[in-house]
Amino acid sequence: MSVDALPRSAHPARRRLPVGLLLVAPPLILIVGILLVPALRTIIGTLQVPQPDGTIGWSLDNYSKFFGDAYTLSNLGRTIWTTLVTLALLILVNLPIALYLRFARGPLAAFIQATALFPMFVPGIVICYALIQYLGPNGLLQSLLERVGFVWYHTPYLTPWGPVIGLVWDAMPFTLLVLTAGAGGISTPSIEAARDLGAGKLTIFTRIILPQMANSIIVVCALDFFYLFASVLQPLLLGPATPELMGPYMLRTFVSVRDPAMSSTQATVTFLICSLAGYTYVRAMARRQKEEGAAR
Amino acid sequence: MLRRDFLMTSTAAGLAASVGLLGSRAQAAPGVVDVFFNSDTNVVDFWTQNIKPGFEAANSGITLNLVPGGGGAQMNAIADRALAALQSKTDPQVDFMEAMGPYYPAGAIDAGLWVDMSTVGLSNYGLVNPVVVDNKWTLPYRGSQVVMFYNKDKIATPPSSFEELTAWIKANPGRFAYARPDVGDSGACFIERALQEVTGKDLKLFTNDNYTADYAEPMFQKLWAYLNDIAPSLYGGGQYTGGNTPSIQLLASGAVDMTIAWSDMALEAMRKEVVPPSAAVAQLKDLAFVGGFSGVIVPNSAANKDAALKLADYVISPEVQNKVVSILGGFPGIKWEAMDPELQAKFKDVAPTSIPGFPGGTWEPPLFDGWYRNVGVGLSKG
Repeated sequence: MSVDALPRSAHPARRRLPVGLLLVAPPLILIVGILLVPALRTIIGTLQVPQPDGTIGWSLDNYSKFFGDAYTLSNLGRTIWTTLVTLALLILVNLPIALYLRFARGPLAAFIQATALFPMFVPGIVICYALIQYLGPNGLLQSLLERVGFVWYHTPYLTPWGPVIGLVWDAMPFTLLVLTAGAGGISTPSIEAARDLGAGKLTIFTRIILPQMANSIIVVCALDFFYLFASVLQPLLLGPATPELMGPYMLRTFVSVRDPAMSSTQATVTFLICSLAGYTYVRAMARRQKEEGAAR
Repeated sequence: MLRRDFLMTSTAAGLAASVGLLGSRAQAAPGVVDVFFNSDTNVVDFWTQNIKPGFEAANSGITLNLVPGGGGAQMNAIADRALAALQSKTDPQVDFMEAMGPYYPAGAIDAGLWVDMSTVGLSNYGLVNPVVVDNKWTLPYRGSQVVMFYNKDKIATPPSSFEELTAWIKANPGRFAYARPDVGDSGACFIERALQEVTGKDLKLFTNDNYTADYAEPMFQKLWAYLNDIAPSLYGGGQYTGGNTPSIQLLASGAVDMTIAWSDMALEAMRKEVVPPSAAVAQLKDLAFVGGFSGVIVPNSAANKDAALKLADYVISPEVQNKVVSILGGFPGIKWEAMDPELQAKFKDVAPTSIPGFPGGTWEPPLFDGWYRNVGVGLSKG
């Protein structure tokens, strides 16, 4: 009888070693140690306010300051606006491309996919300065438009649309990758069945394709939401001075105003809003696992 | 190797690595001076190619470890760590900080974190130009000044006073831009010069230790009124660029005829021809724009404090200061009389006899935040 043929219980010492747990332990320790603990300390710190008698007491002062400040609220409002508008544009631009790539084959489809994924390989700061040159005053776009007689161009640079354009550029590859993966799961037989039953193109899109892609749309919206909500570079370089987006505002409060308590409070509020998107994401994932479980 | 064995070995290795990460604490090596930089890469290059070889040749046994500090928040974090280490009497793991002031973190000065440069017997301290000394803890070693960067095809004679500049801005709506004060500092120097203008050009009004909200508020109100008055005449009816380079880009594309820029960046842009040949620089004649001196500070608790102070002394030697002017394009931190006679002759027309300063540490945080809330916000109303 060879060693390999021994039943597993013949290696009692090996069986008791929790290999799986040991494997995840190092990353888990790192995440808890360098991410969760400092984050929790920051959040707790926003609730601890020095009292007049020199002691530290629990208080919601920082939060009443945050929500009592019209300037801060206008920044928060502009951040939500920018995030939602950018999200809508991202879906509007990428959904048709994802569907096209799902059904089209050939060199043109490959070219479109490569072009759409290209921004992934360009650093954000380069994109920003390039967009300033291209979209900015007297930039290439304006010159081209004036060449064909369009002289009413107003540059979006330094307006609220500046960061929207920069962020659409930047988040496009990731959005497209997730949506393409989702579109890959659309079953051809169901479309053909619907067509056989006489369904029109619109009906097929709304009743067959969209429901099958709903989960990946929700997932990409949730993940893009984090990224857009806390973006710094594009709003700083392409956007107006005010209202500021939360990313640059937090940074400025920390570095320039030198008010770590207030910037921690801004970060906590940002975190809470983003955790709503996180909750949506987790629920979407759980639903998918349940559906896949049911399908089996 | 069996898969399971492999997994267990690699898990053990991973654990050992993470325990090792947590367990070992870096200690400053003796004779290696850790220098952290707040300045940009061009300055680190200058140190690598000039200061490091010169200093190490003259001081055998000492090597310089030059670390780009990443600027802003990251440099502040190093200063935070130095203060914490001072309080716990441990090694701060930093010996020397470049382009830093002593005011961060709050309480650092009272705790005695920084070396008082005026009393540690630096042999070259007598050469330091008293005009540019901001405080006794910071040793100023290179300066630059903000200038008007303009298109000479459009502006034959640049404004010579702040009053003329204001008149020009209003007479040429949309042709002038300055940057937000907290990004890149050229915009900061513009609003600080405006603050000096609306308060009667009395520089003594602003010192490092006289800021209080009650004292500053009436002066700030005058400043907001002035800045809001010129805002509609600025580029885009009151748009502000996101830094030094974006301001220069606006001039380069012809979107504006004048902006505010740092002297060294303007000269570099002209040398590299990123601006048209018509670009020129000018300085106000009545009271020059605020300039800034970058200084070095040394923590009292530094493990290599003696070597760090030797380095500080070397940095303000005429040998290095001549290179600050000829290679880095900056102003010297020492008196011009102590400089190379050739450089003195070459720069006698542009050498500023005084560079008006502004107390950054205590005044700037409320000034910049106030700008955002009172001036920058004008756009969203419009």
